[in-house]
Amino acid sequence: MKKVLMKVNGRSRQFVVEPDRVLLDLLREDLSLTGAKQSCDRKGQCGACTVIVNGKAVRSCLQKVANLDGADVITVEGLGTPFNPHLIQEAFVLSGAVQCGFCTPGMIMATKALLDSNPNPDIDAIKRALQHNLCRCTGYAKIIDAVKLASLFIRGESTPDAVRPDPNGPKIGVSHPRPSSMVKACGVAQFSADIHLQDALELAVAHSTEYHAKILSIDTSTAERMPGVIGVMTAKDIKGDNSLKLIVADQNVLAGDKVHCLGDSIAIVAARTRDQARAAAAAVAITYQSLPVIKSPKEAMAQRAAQLHAQLPNLCFRQPQIKGDAKKALAESAFAVGAHFSTQMNHQAPLEPEVSVAYLEGDGEDAQLVVVGRSINIHSDLAILQTALGYENVRYEEAFSGGQFGQKTAMLSEAIAGAAALHFQRPVRYVPSLAESMMTTTKRHPFDMNLNLGCNKDGKFTAFDIDFIVDNGAYMNIGTVVCLRALRMLSGSYHIPNINALAQLVYTNNPAGGTARGAGPPQIAFALECAIDMLAERIGIDPLEIRRINSLLPGQSISTGHVYEQWPFPDLCAAIKPSYDKARKAAASGKSGTIRRGVGIAAHSFGIMSPGDAGRVAVELDPDGGLTIFCAVADPGEGNDSMLTQIASHLTGIAMNKIRLVTRDTDHTVGMGPAAGSRMTYVAGGSLILAIEQLKHAMEETGARTCEELKKAGKPTRYMGSKKALKEGGLDPETGLGPSFESRVHSIQMAEVEVNIDNGEVRVLKVTTAVDPGTVIHPQNLEGQLEGGVDQGVGYALREEYVHGKTIDYVTFKFPTIMTAFEMESIIRETPRLRGPLGATGVGEMTMVCTAPAVINAIYDACGARIYDLPATPEKVKAALAKRR
Amino acid sequence: MVADTRDSPRWDGTTPRLLDAGDVQQKVRDFGGKEVLVDKDDFLWRPEDWTEDVAMALATECGIDTMNDLQWQVIRFLREYFFYHGRAPLNRDIKAAVGISLMELECLFPGGIRRGARRIAGLPNPRTCSG
Repeated sequence: MKKVLMKVNGRSRQFVVEPDRVLLDLLREDLSLTGAKQSCDRKGQCGACTVIVNGKAVRSCLQKVANLDGADVITVEGLGTPFNPHLIQEAFVLSGAVQCGFCTPGMIMATKALLDSNPNPDIDAIKRALQHNLCRCTGYAKIIDAVKLASLFIRGESTPDAVRPDPNGPKIGVSHPRPSSMVKACGVAQFSADIHLQDALELAVAHSTEYHAKILSIDTSTAERMPGVIGVMTAKDIKGDNSLKLIVADQNVLAGDKVHCLGDSIAIVAARTRDQARAAAAAVAITYQSLPVIKSPKEAMAQRAAQLHAQLPNLCFRQPQIKGDAKKALAESAFAVGAHFSTQMNHQAPLEPEVSVAYLEGDGEDAQLVVVGRSINIHSDLAILQTALGYENVRYEEAFSGGQFGQKTAMLSEAIAGAAALHFQRPVRYVPSLAESMMTTTKRHPFDMNLNLGCNKDGKFTAFDIDFIVDNGAYMNIGTVVCLRALRMLSGSYHIPNINALAQLVYTNNPAGGTARGAGPPQIAFALECAIDMLAERIGIDPLEIRRINSLLPGQSISTGHVYEQWPFPDLCAAIKPSYDKARKAAASGKSGTIRRGVGIAAHSFGIMSPGDAGRVAVELDPDGGLTIFCAVADPGEGNDSMLTQIASHLTGIAMNKIRLVTRDTDHTVGMGPAAGSRMTYVAGGSLILAIEQLKHAMEETGARTCEELKKAGKPTRYMGSKKALKEGGLDPETGLGPSFESRVHSIQMAEVEVNIDNGEVRVLKVTTAVDPGTVIHPQNLEGQLEGGVDQGVGYALREEYVHGKTIDYVTFKFPTIMTAFEMESIIRETPRLRGPLGATGVGEMTMVCTAPAVINAIYDACGARIYDLPATPEKVKAALAKRR
Repeated sequence: MVADTRDSPRWDGTTPRLLDAGDVQQKVRDFGGKEVLVDKDDFLWRPEDWTEDVAMALATECGIDTMNDLQWQVIRFLREYFFYHGRAPLNRDIKAAVGISLMELECLFPGGIRRGARRIAGLPNPRTCSG
């Protein structure tokens, strides 16, 4: 042990610590200063734990406290509070740099250290200062804006009051500060790992070391005798059905007799400390009988392949889509291209790893199990927990969540925490490592696609034929939904009269696929949009022009036969044309030498509100003239709090600071479905409007102006609105025809890249997005979604690939940094949608759907290397160049 | 040791059928002449489509020939609660409203409250994944 004296946020403190105690743990565990976040397994990869020590920004996970005697430490809590924020915190909030907020305290501390030494930094200086701080939400654009704005504030050239929109001014189309952003900027928003639980046990899980095996025995005796261990539980200790069923009951919370993938959870250890729990989990002895391991859909569909699940064959879902006669039309087409494309397994890579806590509130028969986690669908997860754990009285609470990008459609850590709280009858905390978190959460499905696309002599599409095989991985989660989404958006932005598609979903022993931003359409769009460029080249038509002339028109039908009344895509082609022409001109001079410059475009029209979808939102007029909105609208960073607050204030005239949101727990909210599918603005916003209309009608009818007067008039003060999709029903099992999404958000993206033809490296210079999302409620939030999604799309195109057992952290994942950030521009058109709330749609996923094909098409334009298999690593680009030569 | 592939379920003599869109999406069912959209687990897609006749048809399917007063009381409470709160009540809420023990409550409907009574009451399937 060593005695250390140091100052923390201006207060002198004395600590006696072990030599290996790091500053991050001391701040979080001993001082309850949870503004500094732990994400990267204390490897110094993410910067979420950045604090200032002796005037310099440092990653506190790398700082040994024993070496800090006499140090002066400042954490984000030492800068400001939500009621008295620091100028940098104001700048981050006003710039829209706070999305999920998990990285924000670290970003702010790095900015503080920079501006203390250089109050007028240029972009290069900002990038250097923030190069160790990762963000998955923003694409770094708004963070750079925030640092620039903070420098203006610090130099006295502007003030927050000069920048802040008038809260009494218009509510729609104005970037009012997000209601949740300041608590995140001040580090006082509690994420799951920040929640203090008195006498909580720490959990660790023993995972499968096999990909496919029978479990012969689980010996917990050694683990149970280890220091600090309270107990070990296995599947037999779970009282419910132990199933994590969303569509098919094929995955257990804890595997009892069989494992289907490396990393399946088998035993839970509860101990006094996390280290003790992890040591004991490693000592759980499991013996297996290995079964044949199936690593690809091709192997899974082979004759005599081992069947992975009893209830379904390996080829577990098959759905054709047939419109017209694609075979005949292709044969008669003037031009056609055919190719094979594939996409990789990828991780959503939120910066906050999985974490859940659970405890029992109350005693005896009335004890309620409270589970706190990162869910985006708390009522669905509640139902799963009730059945899986065999305990009815459950409350799910959503903590602040560090991004998720679709990942949290599935659930595991909550069930582990809940099961342990019930079994050990103690509060528990489950904080998996980043490596464990990446291993056990769902991934983006890999697609393998064979397609043919034909057109007539004028370049008008005649037929699209595509077979795609989806690697479902070991468990279903929502695999069928991903296939159906791909089919419902198959023809993208275009009118293609003849379609022949076949979707096949196949179990393997790979990690389970799940929802990932876009969930199906990004994979199909990659193949289709590359094929369109190939066809355009064959017939000598400009890539933008072929997209424009093939745009669907109102009254025409998409691949499912669904007809749309609005389709403002051609306007977007026109909107991006000046930028496109300029970029093409700039690239024209860069077609020789080692560094080649190229321009690529791709488009998509993304579906909003699936057939049969419905939302529910309740509003209640408060005695003080405020309005409370009750709805389970998760907000892991998109800005749903802005959306609800600004729509409600706009429609009622009630000040935004008197609009209250109750969104986070199942005891008090209305079920709303998942914060997925880009549906919250359209579905929750639409439901909110219907609820407010009822309230206003009651007030007009009675002449009541207050809650009290409404009550006296005998009317309720609470009203529920439910937006329901105009169409319902599924796709026809034989033809795949049927209703599609109610509305669409349209976009066309242009990537400008440089390719080094010697080493195959690709540098993205700029991505321009022309988008028509309908009415824009909050411009900064819209741009933030666009920029973050584009950054993810570029990562998907060029770098990111999840390899099970090897991708264990942000370095092996090739996480985007501020050094890989690039210029982004948004061109926005606002065609009000007929049934959108105030004319709006949603943009969360659209933003990355066409990024990868735009980049891949740009690479081809630059150097003639066509990449068919994502990601376009330097090796693949070099190989494609060599093949071309 | 690598097991023989006969350890896998394919060799137990049954070959399960694969799924298609018809298995995983909403479908229309006829309840005594009334067409109602239901999900893959036969939960009503729209709680507003519920009628007492639909409830009786669903009750019959899960083995209840006639619904007694207590069962109707639970069903009506479930619906009233849902349309006010926008979610199904927990059993403790039903217990407080109806005044019977949790054990009696669970025995009142085959499948208990969550899989039995909620379905008969026309409440949505708690496990939904729109998108």
